[in-house]
Amino acid sequence: MTVTTDQPEREDQLTRSITGKLLYFYVLGDVLGSGIYVLIGAVAGAVGGAFFVAFAAGVTVATLTGLAYAELVTKYPQAAGAALYVNKAFRNKALTFLITISFLSSSFAASGSLASGFAAYFAEVWELPPALLITLVFLLLLTILNFIGITESVVVNMLMTFVEVAGLIVVMGIGVWFVAEGDADFGVLTEFSGEGSPILAVISGVALAFFAMTGFENAANVAEETINPKKTFPRALVGGMVTAGVIYVLVAIAAALTVPVDQLADSDAALLEVVQAGIIPVEVGVMTILFAIIAMIAITNTTLVSVVTQSRILYGMAREDVVPAAFAKIHPTRRSPVVGLGFSFIVVAGLLLVGTLLNETGAGIDVVERLATVTVVFLLFIYALVIISALKLRGQDEDDETYRASTPLLCVGLVGNVVLLGYVVYDDPASLWWVGGLLAIGVVLYLVESVFGRRDRPPGAERGDPVAGTSAKEH
Amino acid sequence: MHVVIATDGSRQSLAAARHFQSFADPAKVTGVTVVAVIRPLAAVAFADELSPADRRAANAETGSFRDAAKSAVDVIADALKGWGPKVRTKVRSGSPASEIIKEAAQTDAGLVVVSAGNRGLTETVLVGSTAQRVQHYAPCPVLVVRGRARRTR
Repeated sequence: MTVTTDQPEREDQLTRSITGKLLYFYVLGDVLGSGIYVLIGAVAGAVGGAFFVAFAAGVTVATLTGLAYAELVTKYPQAAGAALYVNKAFRNKALTFLITISFLSSSFAASGSLASGFAAYFAEVWELPPALLITLVFLLLLTILNFIGITESVVVNMLMTFVEVAGLIVVMGIGVWFVAEGDADFGVLTEFSGEGSPILAVISGVALAFFAMTGFENAANVAEETINPKKTFPRALVGGMVTAGVIYVLVAIAAALTVPVDQLADSDAALLEVVQAGIIPVEVGVMTILFAIIAMIAITNTTLVSVVTQSRILYGMAREDVVPAAFAKIHPTRRSPVVGLGFSFIVVAGLLLVGTLLNETGAGIDVVERLATVTVVFLLFIYALVIISALKLRGQDEDDETYRASTPLLCVGLVGNVVLLGYVVYDDPASLWWVGGLLAIGVVLYLVESVFGRRDRPPGAERGDPVAGTSAKEH
Repeated sequence: MHVVIATDGSRQSLAAARHFQSFADPAKVTGVTVVAVIRPLAAVAFADELSPADRRAANAETGSFRDAAKSAVDVIADALKGWGPKVRTKVRSGSPASEIIKEAAQTDAGLVVVSAGNRGLTETVLVGSTAQRVQHYAPCPVLVVRGRARRTR
């Protein structure tokens, strides 16, 4: 008898599960949690009272990069993200590997700094347990949740996003209340406290604020399952980023108006300072606990997605025979990449442990924070490459419906990324050593796999050889 | 009677399809739908362990979970080739249990075939497996095919 496969076009409409609205909330939740709760103090310290400008600029550059992502995703709606696009554009294995390793290490660093941020807010609720213990337990729980598959719940995802937005609305509400009472001094908003020129101060703030927008690229993970991606994806991605950007700028203005900048800069949990300033007539203790819980939920949401992304990247790399095949191992019943999840946990936990130990011994280097700033270099590099890939792939694989981002805007985004990259390296040349070190680890992994991974391949085959019987590269 | 066979890309799901085929009467089965469910938000949206290695490598290159799911349903459809009833394949996305049940309802199925993993602690205590949820909520009888017991326990 015959085996028939239904027309894919008709089926796809029915069976993809991510709607535009869900994707919008996915992007929003992913972007919002990652930075504002953790980074706002650092940005304020770098720029001064006018630090909302840094947020506005960082958000703009990130959103322009988002346009390039949106265009590429509508052309290639698959889960691999930046590495896939760069591979399509340049067809260079080494470069693709570099992108993947960079992305992975920046994701590890982000998880580390998010976990520290979580601990800082946790301490506001219950001070007894040491921060290191909190971060480790937090990461372990998230890894277990991902193993079980709780993260798949779309409803939980939406709820977390609503809570995140609610927390930031509280901050904005305090700002509005403060202004309405007539206590606000708007002069703060034009103050620059960093030494040297205001422009350099803003750029250094932008580099940090930019980190607050990362996370949007994780949306490429679900592109393949988006209903009508060519239409909904650009709208949801850019819409989510613009919403997040507007919220960021308003929150930054509210924070600058209500709390002295140096107090923000010195705080581990800067947004709490706004709540603790006691501006609205609600008891400070209650608000503090409520807000700390909201902040923890926001950070949890982003960290969950970053853990998912790490194990997904490792899985993809193992399938492509770039890292040992064990990373592609799937738990027989839970269908989760058990080795990848465990490895991610060990790496991030290791980073946090070493960071704490170095701090205790007085070495004066906070490894996690250091990595978070260093990996901005990676991200800027990746984003610049993604924009170049988008431009380079123009004219290929296009049809009438393909979303086409405005070329001038992409060029502005590219310049923005390169300027930031230049500034970060110029401002902190030592970061290049860290970058080199991280890449060296990647190269070692690559070499280990090429020496020991041979037995996975058929005799005589080289790494990356197309396997007999396929012509997968060109369609 | 229409039969829905679910696969999660595991070898056990192929064994389940074969088991069903081993005793069912092809004359009484009017049609078979092989369905795979992609979980977009999971760490690995779909893991295909059924296809031959070369096919899998091709899918790995594009990073497409949809392609992986399509190859997996094709493998099961191939196993049922020549058996008798007409075989359709379908890839859905969302939560596995609810999508399998929806598929069963839409095709007005008389039987759903799923494989059950070994019941570990996390499975029974924390969430319950896809097979268990399908058993609870399916609109028709469900055949849960259990793999052979593990050697050590």
